[in-house]
Amino acid sequence: MYWVSVFTEAGIFAILALGLDVIWGWGGDFDLAFYGYLALGSYLVFVLTIGKPTPPVEYIIGWHLPVLLAIVIAVVAVVCFAAVIGAIALRNLREIYFAVTTLGAVSAFYLIVENYTPLFDGYNGVYGLINPGQSALRLTYNGYRIFFLVVVLVILFLCYLLVQRLSRSPFGRMLRSVREDERAAAAYGRQVFFAKYRAYLFGAALAGLTGSLFAIFISAFNPSAWTPQELLVIYAAILVGGRGNPRGVILGTFVVYVGLIELTRYLPSPASRPEFGPAMRQILIGLMIILILRFRPQGLLRERPGVDRVPGSTGRLRWRPPRALAIAAPDNGQTAGPAAPALAGSEGTMTGDARPASAGRDAPSQGQEAEDGGAG
Amino acid sequence: VLLQPNAPEDDVSTFLVTIGIGLSTAAILALSAVAFSLEYAISRIANFAHGEFLTIGAYAAYSGQSIFHQNVVAAAAIAAAAGAIAGLALNFLVIEQFRGRTAITVFIATLGVSLIAQNVLNIIYGAANVSYTFAQGNLHHVGPFLWTTSDIEVIISVLAVASLFYLLLQWTRFGKAIRAVSQDRALAQVSGIPARRIVMRTWALAGAVAGFAGFALADTVGTFGPTLGFNFLLLTITAAVAGGIGRPYATLGGALIVGLVLQIAGTYTSSAYELVFAFLFLVVLMLFRPNGVFVRRSAVAVRA
Repeated sequence: MYWVSVFTEAGIFAILALGLDVIWGWGGDFDLAFYGYLALGSYLVFVLTIGKPTPPVEYIIGWHLPVLLAIVIAVVAVVCFAAVIGAIALRNLREIYFAVTTLGAVSAFYLIVENYTPLFDGYNGVYGLINPGQSALRLTYNGYRIFFLVVVLVILFLCYLLVQRLSRSPFGRMLRSVREDERAAAAYGRQVFFAKYRAYLFGAALAGLTGSLFAIFISAFNPSAWTPQELLVIYAAILVGGRGNPRGVILGTFVVYVGLIELTRYLPSPASRPEFGPAMRQILIGLMIILILRFRPQGLLRERPGVDRVPGSTGRLRWRPPRALAIAAPDNGQTAGPAAPALAGSEGTMTGDARPASAGRDAPSQGQEAEDGGAG
Repeated sequence: VLLQPNAPEDDVSTFLVTIGIGLSTAAILALSAVAFSLEYAISRIANFAHGEFLTIGAYAAYSGQSIFHQNVVAAAAIAAAAGAIAGLALNFLVIEQFRGRTAITVFIATLGVSLIAQNVLNIIYGAANVSYTFAQGNLHHVGPFLWTTSDIEVIISVLAVASLFYLLLQWTRFGKAIRAVSQDRALAQVSGIPARRIVMRTWALAGAVAGFAGFALADTVGTFGPTLGFNFLLLTITAAVAGGIGRPYATLGGALIVGLVLQIAGTYTSSAYELVFAFLFLVVLMLFRPNGVFVRRSAVAVRA
């Protein structure tokens, strides 16, 4: 049962990491508001399903909705919340300014949650969603836990398929081109803000979903259950696995969660110092972030940008320059500059079949290295 | 921070007392934000581990207070020294190792440093709050304001540090070198300025100022734990942004604004929500004046 719990947790956070990687890995925006989205998703699933509060406990709504419906509502609400923060933070701000703005916004949100008890009962938080549907499925407690692990892994797999498909889609490649060089992308007619904004909302939706699953997993949520430090673990996981590579991100999450939990489990934790174990774990996370950034920024599995090829041909790029630039840059895909393959992803410049050919998967990356992320 | 004046019959005096408390908060904020701004100016990075300089300073003074028999000046000196060492170490071990990388990469690395430093302090001192044994002193009426002795000490020392800082930056060779390196490190290097050494010393200076600010903060707040500086960091950044990030003098003005916003909002709503207003102020700033309130320019795309 111990391993079931560990893998369920890793699976849940792998979904979160996939969403965060779309924003940070593909879009290049280092977002610190993400833990707020998970928290909001969690809270909403609770208050929509556990019924009216009994005093002195207090929280809003208090309905008895079916869990699946509650999850849908929670995800929609999280996306709406992210739409507001994203609209503020993404329009003009990039890099550190973006990170600080998102952190400021989510800190304000967290402070309100902590201090305004009628919302989600302040520091005490909400609880009570224990194994929804267990009796309907006629499962034992342990059986339900295994069932839930399977559900989480199936959802993770579906999310992976979706993200993997999105990664090679015109949208995914447009997002990467925007990350590599915003001005060049804008000059080629890409809507920089909307590309990033859509990615942001997609990531937030996955965070809302993660929050919902997390709510079912731990059956309780309060402001200290999930903090900026936990978000750093997710960033560390993305860095370990390989930023921008969905498979790598999932691998990284399992490596970090399972590996780290296992490594630190055997640390001596004297009774007088109960904080020793968790503190050592955080120190390891911090060290891992710094060392990987310094020595292996591409992670275990490097990013593989999609490259358009005509199926069956010998690597002729299908990218065509926009009509206005056709004279200046004749159609010569193979000698096109580094930005060219990345730009190929946009709808406007595609010719023929919009689906990327699978032959492109094993193509050497055409200059788009993404060594450090974020346009300098 | 400590007082919640509630005298509806005397609104003007309440307001002035609020301003007074805001000024003492602003003074500490100013120190921290000036150091943050200096770090930004010299290395072109936002240091997320800046808050830990404050925490290290506060804990160093805590360790030193028993050795030096409750001498406030000695404790402050220890705090500054510890901050300086932390600044040197951060620059040498992390910032310089990441030269030539994008600003956001270094930012994430300092986030990792912040996590490490907080938890090392957690292991050494424990997660529970500690407090100094210095006497807080009495309340004094200074003009319309109401300050404790330590408030007055903090405000005076901040004014002194700010003046010294101005003299150093404007009138010494070292200050001139700092300004040159922060303008263009490569150009300063080829002009014969030992850029590497200047950057080192600047980090030590910024660390010392931040360490002292940490001591002042811990002394004013009363009790503190390993997250003292981390919790103060976002306020520091707000003040630095309000003044215009990377511009140390304007940062003083930014700190003043943020300190007053914090205190006025806290007094007229509830002290639990004062930080909410400060962070919303940060978001609004970022939306309309990301280059600082003193720059007469509309918000343009800000690229680090």
